[in-house]
Amino acid sequence: MQALLFILFAGLAIGCAISMVAQRNPLYSAISLIGVFIALACLYVTLAAPFIAAVQVIVYAGAIMVLVVFVIMLLNVEEPERQPMRLRSLVPIAVMLAAVLFAEAVFIIYFVQASPATPTRNVSDVGLTRSIGEGLFTTYLLPFEITSILLLMAIVGAMTLARTSGLLSSRAAVVPGDQVFAKEMLDRQKYVDLLTPVTAHSTEEAKRLLGVEDQDQSPKP
Amino acid sequence: MEDLKHLGLLMIGILVAFTVVMTMVAYTVLAERRVLGFIQGRLGPNRVGPGGFLQPLADLLKFIFKEDIIPDKSTRFIYFLAPIIATTAALMTMVVYPFGPDVNLPVIGTIRLVIARFDVALLYVLGVTSVGVYGIALAGWSSNNKYSLMGGLRSAAQMISYELALGLGLIGVVLQSGTLDLYSIVEQQAGHLGISGWNMIWVQPLGFIIYLIAAIAETNRVPFDLPEAETELVAGFHTEYSAMKFALFFLAEYVNMFTVSMLATTLFLGGWNGPFVHQLPWLGVFYFLGKVILFLFLYIWLRGTLPRFRFDQLMSFGWKYLVPAAIINIVLTATLQWLGAFDYVARFLKTSTGWGG
Repeated sequence: MQALLFILFAGLAIGCAISMVAQRNPLYSAISLIGVFIALACLYVTLAAPFIAAVQVIVYAGAIMVLVVFVIMLLNVEEPERQPMRLRSLVPIAVMLAAVLFAEAVFIIYFVQASPATPTRNVSDVGLTRSIGEGLFTTYLLPFEITSILLLMAIVGAMTLARTSGLLSSRAAVVPGDQVFAKEMLDRQKYVDLLTPVTAHSTEEAKRLLGVEDQDQSPKP
Repeated sequence: MEDLKHLGLLMIGILVAFTVVMTMVAYTVLAERRVLGFIQGRLGPNRVGPGGFLQPLADLLKFIFKEDIIPDKSTRFIYFLAPIIATTAALMTMVVYPFGPDVNLPVIGTIRLVIARFDVALLYVLGVTSVGVYGIALAGWSSNNKYSLMGGLRSAAQMISYELALGLGLIGVVLQSGTLDLYSIVEQQAGHLGISGWNMIWVQPLGFIIYLIAAIAETNRVPFDLPEAETELVAGFHTEYSAMKFALFFLAEYVNMFTVSMLATTLFLGGWNGPFVHQLPWLGVFYFLGKVILFLFLYIWLRGTLPRFRFDQLMSFGWKYLVPAAIINIVLTATLQWLGAFDYVARFLKTSTGWGG
C-alpha cells in the first residue's frame, strides 16, 4: 500500500516536473508546478509529516503559485515562436550542474543502502503540529526569530521598492475623474511644477489648471 | 480482514456523507430561490412537484441536456480543467468535518461520525480552500473573454485577501483550544446542555464575526460577489461556460457555502453539541446539520437584503479593517490565555453536568 502510494505520487511529481520544463506556454508550466507541489505534499503525508504537507499546500500551491498565475494572466504572454536557443554558452554549465545533481542522487542512494536507517527516537510524535511548535519555540527559537526578521525585511523592502516610482510612471499625470495623460500633453508654461497636486472641484477645472489641451474634438455625449 | 473492514466503512462513510451533502446542497439552491422569492414579495419556483420540491431534479436535467458551447479561441485544456478543479477542491474538505459523536450501530459496533480524523484537519481545510482559487482564476483566463478575465482576476485578488483574514480569524480558536484537530475542538465545546461551551458566545465573539465576514467573501456571495457582478461583468468568470460545466461551478459555489458553514459550526457553534446528545448520540447529527442550515439561511437572507460592495471598498475593508481586527483578536486571545482567563471561564461553562451536557 505504502509503496503503491509512493509510486503514484512520485510518478505524478516527476511527470509534472518534466511537463513544467517542457511546456512552452508559461501558464501550463505554472499549473505543472502546482501539480509538483501537491504531489510532494501527498508524499509528505505518506512520510508521516502531515503538518509539513498542509503548509506545503497552503504556502506554495495556495499562495506563491496563485501570485505567479496572477501575473501570467495579467501579462497574457503570447505563445512564442520557436526561436534559436539564446545563451548557447550556458549549455555546458547546465550539463555540468545536471551531472552534479545526478552524482548527488547516486551518492545518497549508495550511502543509504550502505547504512540502513537507524530508527529515530519516539517516532509517534515526530511531524505532529505540537512537536513542531515546541521545537520551533524552544530549541530552534533563534533561527525562527532570525527567519521572521528576514521575512519582515523582505516585506518592507518590497514596499519601499514599489513605492519609489509610485503607481504611475514618472512621465504620466492624472486628471482626477478623467484619465492618465502623458506629461508631454501638459502645458509647460501653465503648469511647471508637476509634483504639487492641484485642487479642483471638477474634471474640467482640473484640466484647465493642468493645461491639458482637449485632444479629441468629438462631441460629448 | 480488519483493514478491509476499515476501508469498506470508510467508503460507505464517504458515500453517505457525499449523498447527504449533495442532497442538501441541491435543496439549498431551491431554498434560496424560494426564500428570495418571499423576501421580494413573490412566490419563487413552485411548479415542479408539490411546492416546487422536485425543482432541483428539473434543474439538473436541464443542465445535462443543454447545448455545451465551447468558445473557439479558448485555451481548451485549461477551460476543461477549471470547473473540475473548482468542484474537486470544494468537495475535498468534506472528509474532515465531524458530523456527530460516536454512535452505536447494530452490526458494526461503535463508529465515529467523521471520515478522516487527523492532526492538521484545520490546516487541510485552509490548504484545499486555497487551491480552489485556481478553478475560478483559470476559468476566467482560459475563456478568452475580457469579462471572464476581469472576473477571474477580481476573484483571485479577493480570495487571496480574504483568505488571510479568514485564517487569522481562526487562530484565536486554535490558540484557545490548543489543537488543529476539529474533532477535539468540538469535544472541548461541550458544556451545560451542550450549549454553554460554544466558542462563539463566550470566548471568540470577535473571531466569529471576522470568520463569518471573510467566509462570505471567500465564497463570492452577496455582498462580496464582485467576481460575478452581472451589471459590470455579464457573469464574471463563468460567462463562457454552459451546460454541465456551468453546473459544476454552480455546484462548487454551493458546496463551498456548505463547507464554510460546516467549519463555522464546528469551530464556533459547538459542532454536534446540543441538549441530550450524550443520551441520544444520533441527535448530534441533526444538531450539526441544523446549525449548518442556520448559516445557509443567513447567506440567503444577506443576499436578499444587501447591495454589492464596490471593488475598492471590498479591498480596503478586507485589508484595513478585517485583517487588523483579526490581529487584535489574536493578541487579545493570547493575552487572556496567558493570564488564565479562559481556564476560569471554562470552569463554569465547560464542565459538563449530569443533565444532558
